[in-house]
Amino acid sequence: MKRRGFNKMLLGAGLALPAMSLFRDGVAYAQGAAGGLTAIINPEPPVLVLPINQQIPTGTIGGKIYESLLSYDFELKPQPQLAESWEISEDGLTYTFHLAKKAKWHDGKPFTSADVVFSCNVMLKEVHPRARGVFDRCESITAPDDHTVVFKLKAPFGPFLLAFETSSAPMAPKHIYEGTDYRKNPANDTPIGTGPFKLKEWSRGSHIHLVANEDYYLEGQPVLTEIFYKVVPDGASRSVAMETGEAQLSQFADIEPFDVPRLAAMPNLKMTTKGYEFFSPVLWYELNLRKKPFDDLRFRKAARLLLDPKFIVDKINFGLGKPATGPIASTTKFYDPNVTIYKTDVAAANALLDEMGLKKDANGVRTTIKFLVVPFGEFWTRLAEYFRQAMKQGGIEVVLETTDPGGFAQRVSNWEFDTTSNMLYQNGDPALGVARSYISSNIRKGVMFTNTEGYSNKEVDELFDRAAVLTSDKERAELYSKVQKILVDDLPVLWMTEQQFPTIHDARLENAIDTAIGVNGTFGRARWAS
Amino acid sequence: MSLAAIFSRVAGIVITIFVIATINFVLVRAAPGDPAAVIAGQSGATDEKFLAQVRAEYGLDQPYVVQLGAYLGKVATLDLGYSYRLRRPVKDLIAERLGPTLLLTLSAFLISLLGGVVFGALAGVRHGKISDLAISLLALILYATPVFWFGLMLVLLFSIKLEWLPAFGYVDMRAGSFGPFAYALDVLKHLCLPALTLGAIYMAMYARLMRASVIEVAAEDYIKTARAKGLTEGAILRGHMLRNASLPVITFAGLQVGAMIGGAVVVETVFSWPGLGRLIFDAVTSRDYPVLLGLFLVMSILVIAVNLLTDLIHRLVDPRLAVR
Amino acid sequence: MNDSIRTFLRQPSGLLGLAILFLVCLAAALAPILYPGSPWDMVGAPLQPPGTAGSLLGTDTMGRDIASGILHGASVSLMIGIASTIAALAVGVTLGAIAGYAGGMVDRLIVRFIEIFQTIPNFVLAILLVAILTPSISTIILAIGLVSWPPLARLTRVQVQSIAAREFVQAARCQGLGSMSILLRHVIPNAISPIIVTGSMTVASAILIEAALSFMGLGDPNYMSWGYMIGAGRTVIRMAWWASLFPGLAILLTAVAINLIGEALNDALNPRISRS
Repeated sequence: MKRRGFNKMLLGAGLALPAMSLFRDGVAYAQGAAGGLTAIINPEPPVLVLPINQQIPTGTIGGKIYESLLSYDFELKPQPQLAESWEISEDGLTYTFHLAKKAKWHDGKPFTSADVVFSCNVMLKEVHPRARGVFDRCESITAPDDHTVVFKLKAPFGPFLLAFETSSAPMAPKHIYEGTDYRKNPANDTPIGTGPFKLKEWSRGSHIHLVANEDYYLEGQPVLTEIFYKVVPDGASRSVAMETGEAQLSQFADIEPFDVPRLAAMPNLKMTTKGYEFFSPVLWYELNLRKKPFDDLRFRKAARLLLDPKFIVDKINFGLGKPATGPIASTTKFYDPNVTIYKTDVAAANALLDEMGLKKDANGVRTTIKFLVVPFGEFWTRLAEYFRQAMKQGGIEVVLETTDPGGFAQRVSNWEFDTTSNMLYQNGDPALGVARSYISSNIRKGVMFTNTEGYSNKEVDELFDRAAVLTSDKERAELYSKVQKILVDDLPVLWMTEQQFPTIHDARLENAIDTAIGVNGTFGRARWAS
Repeated sequence: MSLAAIFSRVAGIVITIFVIATINFVLVRAAPGDPAAVIAGQSGATDEKFLAQVRAEYGLDQPYVVQLGAYLGKVATLDLGYSYRLRRPVKDLIAERLGPTLLLTLSAFLISLLGGVVFGALAGVRHGKISDLAISLLALILYATPVFWFGLMLVLLFSIKLEWLPAFGYVDMRAGSFGPFAYALDVLKHLCLPALTLGAIYMAMYARLMRASVIEVAAEDYIKTARAKGLTEGAILRGHMLRNASLPVITFAGLQVGAMIGGAVVVETVFSWPGLGRLIFDAVTSRDYPVLLGLFLVMSILVIAVNLLTDLIHRLVDPRLAVR
Repeated sequence: MNDSIRTFLRQPSGLLGLAILFLVCLAAALAPILYPGSPWDMVGAPLQPPGTAGSLLGTDTMGRDIASGILHGASVSLMIGIASTIAALAVGVTLGAIAGYAGGMVDRLIVRFIEIFQTIPNFVLAILLVAILTPSISTIILAIGLVSWPPLARLTRVQVQSIAAREFVQAARCQGLGSMSILLRHVIPNAISPIIVTGSMTVASAILIEAALSFMGLGDPNYMSWGYMIGAGRTVIRMAWWASLFPGLAILLTAVAINLIGEALNDALNPRISRS
């Protein structure tokens, strides 16, 4: 009782301090539904202007400031955002969007169809490679009136409606960017969007302070008064911050996997893996199919049989994620579980390698291959170490090579590797995030996140191409089922796990994670439980 | 110091800085890895057009000679360039990280020098006694301890087991709302373990040196004279021995500052201390060329500055040098 | 020389150092016998405390045996320490001898060069070199060698200067011997003992630098090293203190042993400057 009284006193002192302080950027504690939120951000984004930078942290914070035309529920069904409603023509070539009439930019200028045309037809095509890929499919993008935009496609494109996720096609203000050098525009320091939160202050290396946009166009939003994104570069400090309540929200890989179970079990915190459906990253080991012995299907099968995705989930990821069965994540629409299932089987793997004629030498080594370690932290190092030990059981000696991020991107994109690991987002649809890794037209030397393993199969190319231009989900599903079966039998890469990211938040925080992009969403409805 | 001596000293420093700048530049540009690909890799999606844009934007498509010339010209005007990864001038990045590093290094330096002189003198005076043995043994062990491991063990003991001191960081996240006094106190709390970690190893080194120095000085004639005059041991120690014996230690400590800044890199990594050390490690792993070049230069200049300072202090403590 | 050995053996601390170093070498030699598998093998459940489930010192995050890692890591640490010291000696003694013997302009140039290298924080330079040349055993040895030579060069220079001024060297010069042979036959052999002492201490500091590099993730990923083990154990220190404690003790003991030996050598080889 005494102790509690003392704690209360301390708390009182802590709350009294901000009033005396010179700085007014104190942490706001939950007071009713409104109040402020302190979240972690790592690494610090280089810039907050989402149209010109789509790194993960930019997406997380930029997602509060910028918006696109649509948002998506957990099943990836399109929901209104800046577009209130939309129609698709019978032939699947014309998409008409009706925009929210009350939407305004943070500087007070109205948001109109001219901004959409400028963003999609001019600016994003210049600065946003992924958006360019989609909007280059348009014959024309026009604005019949201030609140209507019409996209005319050259050919039907099944996942076109999925292209309007915030990071995929963020709307940029025409009156600020038109005719300027987008990347060097001085306005990049003061991002102007349409979202429920505005940038108030960015103290580099410390925090980014967002405040509620009073003129937001959606009724009753936002509920929170402000959001602090605190930059915490160190993994252990991030865990401590969540533990002590210094921060109330963490996302993506902020919390090291081994700390997740401990934090998730704490009574004042909640953990969820929902809200990453749009991204649905799949992790795999990649073999350079241009080289021997990786070009031999028997070798790839043997390697797959030596590996155990459960190990990665349990020992490296501390229980997060689940084994992947093939190229398409089970959290997205066209996933088909009826494919060949590989079970870990060391004897069968050795038999396959024997059959190939790879004899063991005196040291029990059949062949020596190299593995390029992904230079993005411990998780990837552990993956490499696991690969080496797993291959050893088949008499395959793996030599690890280390490099820096620049060297890594350069070597993988220029195909100068034996084996490595990789993880790619699916971006809501196989045509947007899966096909790119397997179709032969996307074997592009020097470019990262393409078909870097060098897989080439006419049938697969054709199936992906046809599925992309169909508009009926049923027809598309059939083609994608076929392509999944072929790929799983052909093993262009060795799929391991569907990675899950833990979002850990204060147990009282509600409605923050309500779309398929979760923590990258607007947080317009996020509120404190009273 | 004569004018000519000062001139030659300054010229030497300038030459050194430019040579270091050139070495750094050549080393870093000889590295594998295309910086444009790094940025592209971090943007989540890439294509040739984007890579070309990035190369043009940062002058990476120019010949090396042109880049080097431009770089040296900038160094002369104290322009350290622009970080393409963090999209900020390198000067600003370094400036905001300089404080924590100076705080850490300076605290560690004071701890090590004070501790080293005191413990070393104690051991030297009690030469051969049990306290000498204990101090010498401890110094021997500390001297052979890996810095980062020592830091981790301190974290294990003081942060995790005893929960006395924070394990990581520079200041509490809520510190923005603290008053200036509470803020300083909080930083001090965070400073304890890293400063002790960095200081302890050097303390061991200086203690050994001080001990040897005290023993040597004790054998000098003027100490014997003082003793013959009937001065007490304490007065002899304060009046004659400490000053003379600590001279070589101070000189040596000044020369160790370069190594100390290097040690700070590891310590800052262990304790997530937001200083130059962490910045340099992040810059190396992400191939942030401008930051790397700038950091090396600034760190080397720091070392030169401290060497000068040591020299000055040396002259103050030992007037004989000033006459020369 | 026999006198020196006798003086050395009379020192208990030197003997203690030798004994510890012998144990470390023994560990390195016995590693393949006591733990025949690779130290990377995942032999048990992860994060088991010492003494449980057949692991003497516990297991790490991937279920690898810490004891096996320490034994296998011994040879890696010793090898890197010795090899990089040899590299440092090669550069340092060569440059120092040339500077000390030639004098004049050459001397001034070399001294300036040494000074520049001493100005750059040497651990930072090591990080940069390893990162740029990509981490591997050979680049680590090269980097440590390149940052460790300046003190050896300075020492060699001073030694050579003082020996070169002695009468017997003057005499050799008068006999018309070439500079090279005077340097190799008369000067260096007489200047070598303090260099040996400093060199032996360099091995200890090289082991520490290697450990720090590995700790920061700049080690060779194909060799189990003590520094790597501490780095990998750092993140789980809250749950598994043993993963970082034991490898650190191994480094500590080895470095202490080498320093003890170095000091005893110093007393034995340089009786004049020996501590009272």
